[in-house]
Amino acid sequence: MIEVSGLRVVLPPAVAAVDGVDLTIRGGEFVVILGRSGAGKTTFLRALNRLVEPTAGTVRLGGRAITGADAATLRGMRRQIGMVFQQFNLVRRASVVENVLAGRLGWSPTLPTLFGRFSENDRRFARECLAQVGLADFAARRADTLSGGEQQRVAIARALAQSPSVILADEPTASLDPALTGSIMDLLRAINVQRRLTLVVSQHQLETARAYATRIVGFRRGRVVFDGPPSALTPAVATGIYGEDTPA
Amino acid sequence: MKRTTLAIAVIVLAWTVWDTGSDPVRLARGVPWIADFLRRMLPPDLRVLPAALHGALTTVEIAVLGTAVAAAAALPLGFLSARNVAAPAVFHPARAALNFFRSVDTLVYALVFVAAVGLGPFPGVLAVVAYTTTSLAKLYSEAIEGIDRGPVDAITATGATRLQILRYGVLPQVLPLFLSYVLYRLETNIRAATVLGFVGAGGIGFYLQTYLRMIDYPAASTVLLVTVAMVMVVDAVSSRLRARLV
Repeated sequence: MIEVSGLRVVLPPAVAAVDGVDLTIRGGEFVVILGRSGAGKTTFLRALNRLVEPTAGTVRLGGRAITGADAATLRGMRRQIGMVFQQFNLVRRASVVENVLAGRLGWSPTLPTLFGRFSENDRRFARECLAQVGLADFAARRADTLSGGEQQRVAIARALAQSPSVILADEPTASLDPALTGSIMDLLRAINVQRRLTLVVSQHQLETARAYATRIVGFRRGRVVFDGPPSALTPAVATGIYGEDTPA
Repeated sequence: MKRTTLAIAVIVLAWTVWDTGSDPVRLARGVPWIADFLRRMLPPDLRVLPAALHGALTTVEIAVLGTAVAAAAALPLGFLSARNVAAPAVFHPARAALNFFRSVDTLVYALVFVAAVGLGPFPGVLAVVAYTTTSLAKLYSEAIEGIDRGPVDAITATGATRLQILRYGVLPQVLPLFLSYVLYRLETNIRAATVLGFVGAGGIGFYLQTYLRMIDYPAASTVLLVTVAMVMVVDAVSSRLRARLV
């Protein structure tokens, strides 16, 4: 369970990207954060695991505060939160399996990993995660030789390798061919259903949000303007999220 | 504005011509002497070839060992003087120190180390280490500052420690660049090391200086030819290796 209360993030020079958000996400939900670009979705997700430091408010995971936690506690909690990015953020020159193994870093002692050493269990688990995203045969390939869709699958495998309880996905399909959107979202839904992981996915596409979310949270100018099931998302509500322009 | 700048540039250059006594007529008058010098260098005296080759080997050794030690020593310095990795309290003094030590050339370091540890290749190695460490650290830090932030974020999000983030988020992005810089430095260090012998710091320069002093121009020309061949071979090997890295 993720409990967010009074969350504010002011980015330099003085933009309130997230401007007072209260939200409770229960275990196993598939929450889509919907909003147009610049609505604060990315900053909100990055504040949840403190890649961006919140200006005010609290974030709790399973009852424990992430905000204000010291460095060691923060690292321990980040392990439970996998993250998938719009630009995949793989280490391009490293092999696919090395990228997935990076998901084990938080669980591994620092010194051996500095020499590239991981336990046999970690290596086996990394391969299982690769198999789960359908890329078992790609382990030895260099990450930058893969297509965009495949790279995003590797990034999802890296998140799974953390054995997290939550996965945050920031516009995971925005830099992919529209035809690939479905396959990545299907994969995220399978993870949500089979592993009972909580998913928090930001999206700017209304139709994708409707098709996959169990709950949609509409963002506008850093505030929550809608919170409910996809069925409650009427055209009038959509206009409230996107503004006067027709949604994309 | 542009015109004033140009006028100032012309005045400055004219003054430097006058102050340094640069005179095309003097150069023209000197041409026969250069021709005479070249004529006396020919044919090269191949009897000194073994000595020249031995000197060349020492020069390569000085450059290789010096560059290798510097490549490792520059690693922590590079990270400490990268704006996006080091804290400002560390970064600013580190950068200042680099700029200070980098302004001294290898040959000047050689003079200092010859005075400190005596004649031979060892002060040459130390001189190469001293200059190359700071110059590589500067190049390393600039490579680190140019990395893609994305993988660093991704590794941070896994709950990795600071060192793990450097090892898995930063190092893979900069390592090929680092190696390429090291090879480039090796090439320039071979050139720098050829003159280290002039100040007693070992290598092929010692032979060149000795034969020139003895006015044995055929022997000196053999040494020069070996120097040129050595530099060309190292350049060729190194640039081939560099091409593979990028």
